[in-house]
Amino acid sequence: MNYLDYLSSNSQQILFLTQAHFLVVLIAVGVGSAISIVLGLAVSTGEPNPNRFSLDWFATGIREGSLVFTAALLTVPSLALYALFLPFTGLGVTTAIVVLTLYSLYTVLRNTVAGLTTVDRAVLESARGLGYSRMRRLLTIQLPLAWPVILNGIRVTTLISISIAVVGAVVQGPGLGTLLINGISRIGASNSFYQVLTGTLFCLVVAAVFEIFFAIVQRLTIPRGIRV
Amino acid sequence: MSDTADQTVVVPESGAGRSDMIVLEGVEKIYPGSTQPAVSQLDLAIAQGDIVMLIGPSGCGKTTTLKMINRLIEPTAGRILLDGKDVTHVNGDQLRRQIGYVIQQGGLFPHFSIADNIGVVPKMLGWDKQRIKERADELLHLVGLEPSTFRDRYPRQLSGGQQQRIGVARALAADPPVMLMDEPFGAIDPITRDRLQDEFLEIQRTVGKTIAFVTHDLQEAVKLGDKIAVFATGRLEQYADPDTILTRPANDFVSDFVGGGAAVRRLSLVELAHLELHPIETDEKAADSRNGVAVAEVDGSGKPVSWRHLPGADAAGTPLVTVPISGSVYDAVDVMLDGSASLVAVVDDEGRAQGVLHWNDLVGGLRTRKGDA
Repeated sequence: MNYLDYLSSNSQQILFLTQAHFLVVLIAVGVGSAISIVLGLAVSTGEPNPNRFSLDWFATGIREGSLVFTAALLTVPSLALYALFLPFTGLGVTTAIVVLTLYSLYTVLRNTVAGLTTVDRAVLESARGLGYSRMRRLLTIQLPLAWPVILNGIRVTTLISISIAVVGAVVQGPGLGTLLINGISRIGASNSFYQVLTGTLFCLVVAAVFEIFFAIVQRLTIPRGIRV
Repeated sequence: MSDTADQTVVVPESGAGRSDMIVLEGVEKIYPGSTQPAVSQLDLAIAQGDIVMLIGPSGCGKTTTLKMINRLIEPTAGRILLDGKDVTHVNGDQLRRQIGYVIQQGGLFPHFSIADNIGVVPKMLGWDKQRIKERADELLHLVGLEPSTFRDRYPRQLSGGQQQRIGVARALAADPPVMLMDEPFGAIDPITRDRLQDEFLEIQRTVGKTIAFVTHDLQEAVKLGDKIAVFATGRLEQYADPDTILTRPANDFVSDFVGGGAAVRRLSLVELAHLELHPIETDEKAADSRNGVAVAEVDGSGKPVSWRHLPGADAAGTPLVTVPISGSVYDAVDVMLDGSASLVAVVDDEGRAQGVLHWNDLVGGLRTRKGDA
C-alpha cells in the first residue's frame, strides 16, 4: 500500500480529525484570547504614583501577578497539565479545551499589556486634553492602536496551540494527535509511519488555514492609518 | 533708555473694556510626595481675546499652570474661573471639551483620518455627521490645507508642520472660546516654525480666541504674545505686555531671563505703520525744490528704484532699499544692514513709497504717529 492509497482509503477519518483539530484550537484560543484581552484592558493603567496609594496599585498588582501565573502555566509540560486535569474534567474534549485555553493565556495577555502601554504618550495626552474619558480613551484610542500587537499574540499562540493540541490525544482529546499517538505506539506495523506522517502534514494544513484566516482578519480589523 | 521708550513705543492695547476670560485665584499645586509647591499662590487673569505667553525655565510651573486651566492637573488649592464661571469642581472631561488643546507633538490619532481627527470633539458633543464634515473642511481651509486633498489622509502621511496645523484645527473644531497651547511649535524646524507663527497670528485675527500659550522661546513670546507671564520656580515674576517685559523687567530674575539683546528684540514690536516717517517725494518737480525732502526715482508702476536727491547725503552712492509698511522696525533694520544703506524707503502693498526711515532715527528715538498710539 503506497501513501496515496492510504490517504484515499482513510480520507474520511483524516478529514474528521483535521476538522476536530482545527475546532479545538479555534475554541481554546478564542476563549483564551477573550479572557486575556478583557483582563489586559481591565488592569491597564497609568504608572502608579510611588508616593500615593491608589486603585492603580491594585491594577498593577493584578497585572503582574497574572503575567507571572500564566507564564508559569506555559512552562508546565503539556503532558503533565493534561494528566493533572484528568481527575477534574475526565477524558475527552473538555480537558483538551481547558488545557489549551490555559496555554493560550500568557502570550495574548503579555501582548495586550505591551500593546496598550506602548501607545504614544502624546496621543493619550491629547485625547485627555480634548475631553476623552478614561473608558473612551481605552476603547477608541488605546485598543485600536494596540490591536496589531494583540493580534500577533493571538497568532503566535494559535501556532503553539496546534502542536500542543496533538498531545491532547493522551486524554482522548479530539484531533490529529490520535493518528500520531496511534502510529507511534504501533511503529513498525503496517501504515504506522503513514499515520505519523499524516498527523504531521495535516497539522501544517491546519496552521496554513489559520494563517490565511489571520491574514484576512488583520486586513479587516487593523485601521488603515496604522497598517504597515 | 527706558525713559525714552515710554514716549515712543507703541504698546498694543490690552485689557481695555474687555472682561477676563480666564481667571486663576490663589491657585496652588503641590505634587504628592513633594513639599515644594510646583505653583504657589498664583493669581492670573487673561482678558478675552488675548494671547498670553507663559514662559520660564524648565520646572518653573508654566506647563503645570496651563494644565490646571483645563484641570488635566488638579490644583491643590485656589479657584479657576472660565468666563466668570467657577470650574474648579465641574466634570473635568466635560470641561475639556469646551477648551481647545494643542500639544507639542501634535498628538493626532494615527488611526483616524484627518477629517475624523478634526471632528473628535464635535462628535463627542453630538453634532450630526454632515455638520462635522462641513466643519472639518472649513477648518482645513482656515489652516491653509486643501480639504479635498487632505481630509481622507492619515496623520503619518503629513509633514510635522502639516500635522501641527491639524492639531490647531482640531482644537478649534467645536469653536471653544479658550485655547491652551503647550509649546505647539517647539518640535518644528525654525523656518516652518516662523511660518506657522505668522499663520497662527493670522488665524487668531479671524477667530479672536483667548489663548494661553506655553513656550520656552522668548522670541516666540515677544512675537505672539499680547502679554507675557514670566515664571520662576512656581512663582509669577512678571506679567505684562512684551514691551514692558523687555524694557522694564520687574526684577533681577526677569532681567536675567530676558538677557541681553532686549533692545534689539523690542524693535520687532514696533510696527512701521505706527511710526511718524520722514516724507518722501517721487514727483519730478519736487527734485528742484531741494527743501530737505528725500526724492526717489520711480519706475512705470510707481515703485521707487533709486534716489534722485537725499538731503545731506550722496544720492547716487546710496542704494535704495525698501521695506513693506506691514513690517516692523526690526525688518527695516535688517534691510538696511543687508543693503548697506543708512535709510530705507517704506512702501505700501502696491510697492509705492510711503516714507523714509533713517538709521539715525533708531538712535535718536522713534516717533509714533500722532493720535495713533
